[in-house]
This record gives sequence, structure tokens and C-alpha cells, in this order.
Amino acid sequence: MAVTLAVSCVAATVPMSAQTADYRAPRGPDGNPDLNGLWQALNSAHWDVEPHGAGPSVVRDLGALSAVPAGLGVVVDDVIPYTADALVQRDENRANRLRRDPAIKCYLPGVPRGMYMPFPVQILQSQQHIMILHEFAGAVRTVYMDDHVPAPADSWMGWSNGHWEGETLVIDTTGFNGMTWFDRSGNFHSEALHVVERLTRRSPETLSYEVTIEDPNVFTRPWTMQMPLYRRVEENAQLLEFRCVEFVEDLIYGHLRKQPQE
Amino acid sequence: MLGRTLVTFGRTVVLAAAVAGVPGVAAGQSTGAAQDYTAPRTPDGQPDLQGFWSNQTYTSLERPDGVTAAYYTPEEVAARVSGAAMRESSQTVPGTIPDVHYDFTQFGLDRSQSPRAENLRTSLIVDPSDGKIPPVNAEGQRRAAERADAQERLGGRWDSAESNQLDDRCIMMVPAGPPMMNSGYNSNYHIVQAPGYVMILAEMIHDARVVPLDDRDAPAAGLSQWVGLSRGHWEGETLVVESSNFNAKNPFRGSSERMTVTERFTRVADDRIDYRFTVNDPGTWDQPWTAEMPMQRSRGPLFEFACHEGNYGLYNTLVGARLEEQQAAEAAEQVRGR
Amino acid sequence: MRAVTCATVAIGVLLMGTSASTHHAFSAEFDVAKPLELTGTLVKWEMINPHSWFHIDIEDDAGAVVTWRIEGGSPNELIRNGVTKNTLTIGSELTIEGYYAKDGSAKGVGRNFLVAGGERLFLGGSAPPVAPAAPE
Repeated sequence: MAVTLAVSCVAATVPMSAQTADYRAPRGPDGNPDLNGLWQALNSAHWDVEPHGAGPSVVRDLGALSAVPAGLGVVVDDVIPYTADALVQRDENRANRLRRDPAIKCYLPGVPRGMYMPFPVQILQSQQHIMILHEFAGAVRTVYMDDHVPAPADSWMGWSNGHWEGETLVIDTTGFNGMTWFDRSGNFHSEALHVVERLTRRSPETLSYEVTIEDPNVFTRPWTMQMPLYRRVEENAQLLEFRCVEFVEDLIYGHLRKQPQE
Repeated sequence: MLGRTLVTFGRTVVLAAAVAGVPGVAAGQSTGAAQDYTAPRTPDGQPDLQGFWSNQTYTSLERPDGVTAAYYTPEEVAARVSGAAMRESSQTVPGTIPDVHYDFTQFGLDRSQSPRAENLRTSLIVDPSDGKIPPVNAEGQRRAAERADAQERLGGRWDSAESNQLDDRCIMMVPAGPPMMNSGYNSNYHIVQAPGYVMILAEMIHDARVVPLDDRDAPAAGLSQWVGLSRGHWEGETLVVESSNFNAKNPFRGSSERMTVTERFTRVADDRIDYRFTVNDPGTWDQPWTAEMPMQRSRGPLFEFACHEGNYGLYNTLVGARLEEQQAAEAAEQVRGR
Repeated sequence: MRAVTCATVAIGVLLMGTSASTHHAFSAEFDVAKPLELTGTLVKWEMINPHSWFHIDIEDDAGAVVTWRIEGGSPNELIRNGVTKNTLTIGSELTIEGYYAKDGSAKGVGRNFLVAGGERLFLGGSAPPVAPAAPE
């Protein structure tokens, strides 16, 4: 599928190599393609999912280490199809991102942002549930593989119902609270967000990750992102703790600290 | 339309549970004794621990003072539990501190409204045989005093976010462990197994512990975590999980960074896992100690417990505390001004 | 007397939801000396953790409508009982018995949530009957 897209679009996104069409993943013990493992994106989508040049840091004292690296973009057709009003909102978000980006406050990153943050993600696959676990903020996604029900309530990571289509795990997620962003550049959505992800093994060490975004409150049409995810192949690779709440308490609550009495 | 169906539903749930005997408890083993049960297998051949489980209990960690028997009779347990259930669902006294809280019963958050494994023990601790945590040794007492001093230097509880309790700060809660202890409500877990791994997800605060089942070495000493680092292996029907490398910022019962925890999970019935943990910390106790805390089959889902994200309470409390101080200071100014 | 460490206090708070420590947190946010009883229409039930929030439109004496935010319990057990974001009817009448926030804002904690007819919301039906006392 990824190969077809690459051929038919005039896109600046990097097409993935043709190995996808020939590779057939081993089966897991449940008889389905085996997606188990630790995976991580290696791109600058977490900075900005659209094509972008390098740029300065919003935190002067971190200099080059917090400056924005360039990216060819992961959005198929390059540009997110915002409505006119939503584009204004996005640009306001971007101009105020140091104050507004929810991930700065260690809030759960949402979908799909959690999949391409610079932290590993672990997929644990059983027949009834596929777990997607994020090192960032210890975020957890439960993908229900049977007994599909609608989202009982709204959440940061949404409510995910999954099924197999041949070699591809298709995850349909709704029930978002509308409070997450897609990246550090202010790209956003509302609580009407509907995400469909397609994960396909494309080689022993890579996954093809394709995600379609739909949100009639914000976008004029559905749009798609596409990227490879790379297996963390180190022996004993594992998710470690990134319990970031304590790292942001002074940021969020510091102004409410009791001041010494005169 | 709004209330009627729900209230009827609510009554039905409560009455049905009461009619069945001790509310919320399913019949099961009160000890970990083996019987004619073998757990089904996961597709990769592990004993199947998967599903939703509750470790809610009325049994205290330590044997209550004045109790010498190791086990209650079923009648004693029934009386204790129904008495507790009555107290939980009854109304608090208006104008008292306990009344300044939503009523748990309406939200299904009473302990009596949760599935619980049958347990006739008078304490979760099974070793030492007196059901008590061993005495804290000299090093442990010194550390406890140092921690108390450090806490006092942080100031009053409402002075800052950092001077609050870990649960109010939404950093972590007791069900995460290890060892995993019950919380007052939402004391639920989701276990999922994949080849080479067992994941134990605690509902609060969406704490997923992924236990690798390979022969990996104990982690490097320089890496410590709130929940330590866990690795496991199967001994027959029992999953054995060893954990170490605790950062001791949420010290279990006053323990040190040297604490190691061994947990044993055995599925003993379709609806019950016997959970047993041993705590070993020469920096605090001169002997290891062991507790058993059975897990009862519960139901899902474990809806996202995004705690920090919705933590208006901490924010509001700090605002309220600063406001009260300001008002007190202004009142004192006025008095001085007279 | 054992020195009270952070861990001991933390465990005490959650072992039994009625411990003094838990209520002390709430009684630092809400005023035990200022009980409230408000009736209004439900605008929204934020089904979030660690505590859910009911948004209620209440008309004041001058006829102006103010949206109050009232703190309730975690929705997680209710969700296991089949409650969803569609269960409560927006616009339905709710009476809240509780306490005002200390900061004077349009905020409170709801002790009891009463629907039209006076019944308590969700699982707040009558207390379970007492089991027979243990024989001596």
C-alpha cells in the first residue's frame, strides 16, 4: 500500500523502499502478523509534521540543542488541509507554543503524536488486546481486537478498536478530548478527531506506519501521514521510566508556592 | 428518565450482591493450596494470567492488635465485611470533615462495591507468623528520621506542589508497586501476555509494568526507577518476578534503595490468582517478610486514568491556601492599623 | 510511635477512601463551614480522573445564569457498570448537596447528587441490608 501511494502522489514525503511488497512478517503464536517489539520513529515529525526548514529554539539558553531540525515532512501532499479559521488557530498555537503545547506539561501525547515522539513505543500483542505502551509519560493505549464498542467517554489517548486486514493492523480511534497536538508546531484537532492507523511489517526491523486524520471541525478533508518505524534492536531493549510530572511541577504550580514570610 | 433507571439499576446491583452473601466476593480458595486446577495456556504456552483482576480487600496488611488467630471464621468475615459495607454506604455527618467529599457509593467506589477475593486470613502478612512487619532496624530508623526532617523542611502540606503527597501530585499510587497493594477504589489490573513478556497494567495511574521473561542480568546499579526494574521467569505454574533498582522516592513501608521484591503469581482457579510477595531490605529489616494478596477476576475496561491532566484539585487547593494566607495577612494588617 | 514517612501517609490515604488524610485534601479546597444546596440544569459531565466534574447552570437571584463546576467521583467504576457520556441527559435537573470552594468561585464539591424525585444519582440507592451477626 505504501508503495502505491509513493508512485501516485507528487509528494515530497520520502517514499519507503519497495521491500514492503515482498516482505511477509513471521506469524505470532496467535496466527497474526507479529508486531511485537520496541519501535521508534527517526524523523523530525515530532517537531513539525509538515515539510519545514531548520529554525531557532524558543528557549534561548538551550541554543543549538533545542533548535528545530529540518524535515521533509510526513504529511502526504505536504500541507495539512485546514479550514481558513483553523489555519489562523494553528498559527496562533505556533506563535504561542511555549505556553500552549500540552506535551510540555507532561500531558499525555495523544494519537498519533505518541507514535513519533523521540521515545520508544512497545507493542504487546495478544488475541483480545494489543497494547501500545509509550515511554513518554508512561502513556498507555489499549487496542480492543474484539467486542468493539464506541468510546464510553473522551480521553487523551482516545478509544481504539482494532482488526486485521491481511498483513495490516488497522486501528480505528475516536473519543478524543481535543486537547492534544500533532507536534511541537501547533498543529491541532478538536474532540471530533477520528484517526485510522495502518501498521504493516515491511522488513525484519521496520514497520510501515500510515495514519489518516479526519476532523470536520478543523480540516476540509481527511489527510494522511506516513513514516517508517524502526525496531530497537539492542539486546535487552526495554521501555524505561519517563515519569515527567515531577519535572513540570515548578512550571505549572511554581507561582502558587508559599513565599517566605517577612 | 434520568434518574429512575439508574437508581433501579443501582439498587439491583447492591441487593443482588447482598443476597449472594458477602457483597462482591466470589467463592474461592482462602489459601494458595494447589488443587485440581491447571490454567489454560496462551498461544505461546505460558500459563494464562490474562484478563481483568481486582486486589481489593478488607484484610489489613498486618494482623490487628488483639487478634492472635491466623484465620477468621467465615461468619466473622461476613460480619466484618457487612459492617464495613454499611458504614461505607451510610451518610456522613454534615458539617464534619468526612462530609466534605463526594459520596463514594453513588459512583460505585465503595470497597464493598468492588469484586474481592475470598480471604479468611487475619493479615495479608504470612511470614513472620505473627502477621506483623518485622521491627525496623537501626539503619531504617535513622533513615525514617532523616526523611521526616526532609519532609518538614518542605513545609506544610499546602505550601507547594512538591510538599504534597504523591497521589495528590498524581505521580504514582500504591497499586503500582511492586509490591502491588490495594487502593481504596479502582484497585484493578489488566494482565496481557505476549511471547517473552507479561504486562501488568495498574488502573491508577495507568502504570504498565512490562516484565521480560528472558535471562537478562539485573540492571546496572546507576539506573533506578520509582517502580524499580522487573524481570521474570516461569517456575511451573507460577510466574516469579524479581524487582530491584528502586529509587526509594516512594519507599514501600519506609524501605531503602536496597529493597528487592520477589512476586509470585499463580492462577489457582478460573476467577482467582494467588499473589504473593516477599520484601527483602537489609537496610530496613533484619529479615525478609512475605504477604499473600489474592486477586479476583474483575471486569474491564480500565478507562484511562489521566490523573495529572485533570488535577484541578491540587491547583485549586494551592490557590485556596494562598488566598487564605493573604486574607489572614490582610486581617492582621487591619488589626495592627487600629 | 513510628515516624510518619511519606509512604506511610500515602498508603493510609488510599487504603480506605474515608481516611482523614483524603478528606483533609478536600477540606483544604472546599469549606466545611459553607454547605451548599443548589439546583440547576446539567450542561456537561466531564468524565475525567482523578475526579469528575459536573457543570450545572444555576440561575441566581437576579436571574442571571451562572455555570457552576461541582466535583464528583472517578467515572471508572461507573463505566464498568455501563455508564457512558450519553447516560446523563443534558438539560436534566440536578440538585447538589455539598460544600462551596474556599476561593469563592462558582465551584463546589457535591456530597450527594439528587435527580428530580430526590433519588441519589447512579448507584446511590438504599444501603445494602445487614447480614446476620456472627454467632457468639
